[in-house]
Amino acid sequence: MIDVFLLIGLPYLALVTALVAGVWRWRNRRYSLSARSSQFLEDRQLLWGSAPWHIGIIVVLLGHIAAAAFPQIWSAILTVPGAVFIIETIGVAASLLAIAGLCTLVVRRLTSARLQAVTTNADLIVVALLLAQILLGLITATDYRYGSVWSTGTVVPYFWSIVTLHPEMSYVADFPMLFKLHIVGGWLFILVLPFTRLIHLLAVPIHYLGRAPQLVIWNNARRRQHAVVATIKAESRRAFLKGTAGVAGATGLMALGVSEKLANFFKGPRPDPEAESELLKKKLERLQQTAQERQLELERQRSNFIFVARYGELTETKGKYFTDYAMAPGLAFKGKDGLPIVLSAKCTHLGCTVGSEVDGQGRVLCPCHISYFSIATGQPNDGAPAKLPLPPIGWALMDEAGKEVASRQPGQPLQGKVDAELLKKCGLYITKPVKSV
Amino acid sequence: MSVKEAIKNVESYVGERFPVEKMNYASMVQKKEVPVHQLSWGYYIGGLALFLFIVQIFTGLMLLFYYQPTVSDAHASVEYITEHVPGGALVRNIHSWASSMMIAAVMIHLLTTFAMKAFARPREITWITGVVLLGVTFMFGFTGYLLPWHQIAVNATKIGLQTIEEIGQYLPGELATWPRAIKETIQGEASVGQATLSRFFALHVIILPLSIAAMLGIHLLSVQLHGMSAGVDEAPKRKEKFFPTFFLKDLKVWGVAFLVLFILGLCVPFESFFAYPLFSPFDPKGSTPDGIKPEWYFFWVYYPLELLPFWMIMLGQVVLGAVLVATPWIFQNTNRRAMRLLAVAAGIYLIVMTLFGENIYHLFKG
Repeated sequence: MIDVFLLIGLPYLALVTALVAGVWRWRNRRYSLSARSSQFLEDRQLLWGSAPWHIGIIVVLLGHIAAAAFPQIWSAILTVPGAVFIIETIGVAASLLAIAGLCTLVVRRLTSARLQAVTTNADLIVVALLLAQILLGLITATDYRYGSVWSTGTVVPYFWSIVTLHPEMSYVADFPMLFKLHIVGGWLFILVLPFTRLIHLLAVPIHYLGRAPQLVIWNNARRRQHAVVATIKAESRRAFLKGTAGVAGATGLMALGVSEKLANFFKGPRPDPEAESELLKKKLERLQQTAQERQLELERQRSNFIFVARYGELTETKGKYFTDYAMAPGLAFKGKDGLPIVLSAKCTHLGCTVGSEVDGQGRVLCPCHISYFSIATGQPNDGAPAKLPLPPIGWALMDEAGKEVASRQPGQPLQGKVDAELLKKCGLYITKPVKSV
Repeated sequence: MSVKEAIKNVESYVGERFPVEKMNYASMVQKKEVPVHQLSWGYYIGGLALFLFIVQIFTGLMLLFYYQPTVSDAHASVEYITEHVPGGALVRNIHSWASSMMIAAVMIHLLTTFAMKAFARPREITWITGVVLLGVTFMFGFTGYLLPWHQIAVNATKIGLQTIEEIGQYLPGELATWPRAIKETIQGEASVGQATLSRFFALHVIILPLSIAAMLGIHLLSVQLHGMSAGVDEAPKRKEKFFPTFFLKDLKVWGVAFLVLFILGLCVPFESFFAYPLFSPFDPKGSTPDGIKPEWYFFWVYYPLELLPFWMIMLGQVVLGAVLVATPWIFQNTNRRAMRLLAVAAGIYLIVMTLFGENIYHLFKG
């Protein structure tokens, strides 16, 4: 029963009263719509009380309003990793700041006779309410963590059910008393708003932020001079603050973005198992490729013959690539006479690998700078960038038993005899070049 | 000339180039002024190159965290950076864009300082360190190009190094084998392989940065000591303070440059200008890809190399190098008008060869 009153009755009582009394005060007591500043009575402590208090409470209040007004956007923001922590931290820090400021203000009120003279009972009630309300909120935030998340499904619909005149207290009825009191506190503020200096909430002087500072002065020459100096000082300070705020804001945003990128860059990717195994597979393939390469190198250092291809695999139109003793590419073809043609495939111009397709004129092409090499002689075409012929490579044909059937060293005549039947069974090998000393 | 006189001469020569009495904050920063005239924009180019170098250091260090300089892993690690590391593609892309921009900046810097005759006494040392810095920057480009270890990179490096060996054919007797020995020393083995990759890596990330830092130190010190060169013949109507006025303007240019760089890095992959698939890893048994070209900043020497006999290009390079180093003395008495004309001619040549080199090549070679 008490719940019904506190969660449905009180809200409507507060809203109706605030509306009626607020409109009345707006129309009939226009000049009382103020915070009743006491700055001219005491301004040193005020700075250290009022500034933190207002900064803190504005941040907290804006958070509450944002969540209530745009619950979907609010929830969407919270899905960003880390956002909940950032928002909760900002909220708690801001409320602590507000409490600190409010305490300073209370001490200030209680220790200055001048201020006590202008303090009303309503002021004391408001201060007590504010302090209680913030403490309740803070305790809720720490005892029932992540209110920024769970509020969008509970308090926010409740708030809108009240506002849209379909009161539904079941959203919040099961909350602990502590949090219910926080809700009740909220309605109480609306209730007392038109009767206290809290009314200044509705007269937020936003345009103060952008307008030039104004000074109210006694009008005489000396004061005017002072005022000019003071205005210039204030003006330049304002420009400086604006600039600093802009630069700091931009730098801050950039630093935030950059550090986020940097942190993630150094954190590295965290691939899922599938992607990770895919990566590992690729790496392994490359390693095997390298191992193969090394194997070839070792083989070339150790053995006197390197297998190129079965004789039957050789053709007249397409060369077979292999790696020669210098670890450079070589090409093997079948010549018109049926004997193998074995050439280096490293272009004598700038060392590109020449192509393996033989054109109509019995030439292969180096694609880099267009040199055609005759495979029969190795000679480049006239006017080609390459001037020297592709060097021939010494080869040997061996039968299955490993017996040398025929061989030819560069610049020397053919050794051994060849007949077509025997050749078919042979394999083509390149022979280790004799080191010229 | 007696020994004493010789020492005295050296002393006064060095003393004029590095005036100790000016090595203080007041004259190097507070009193320094920058003339304001038609060619003032040239004063920003060197700073821009410096900024791009700083970008290269940062992005390069970041890449270093993931890059692995072995023939089996290099390509895979670059691929990993591009495809898997968060923001890796951006960092790598900025690194390659900034490298091109840095080379463009140092080339323009050379031309503008040449046109402004900024090498005149006592700024000879500034000019010569600048020429060395240009060479180091080109070497940065050449060594960095190999590191991803893909088909184009390895084959382009092979061809580049092969040109050294080519010189051998013009040398007499025993000397003819030297270029080959030099090439193999640079490569570390008979053909481009793991040793080459290790050496280029060491050059790119340790030796060249250190040498650029040393040269840059001398270069910047002399710039601050001697102040900005007047640049034009008529006395400047106005001068502005180097610090903070010009310095802040410099920062502004840097900011714009970074914005451009960042947007390019984010939106335009550097590889998109290549006609061939960049991302096939180097395969020693495969044939050289069709249409292989060096990076754009070598076009000015690459296309002439394709068109003219090799010895002409080599001779041209040697002459060009000698002229660049000796510029402060060769052009001692040339007036600024002639300097500007020469610089414009060189600039036009560079632009035409870089943009239309291929068309010119096809014009002559079909």
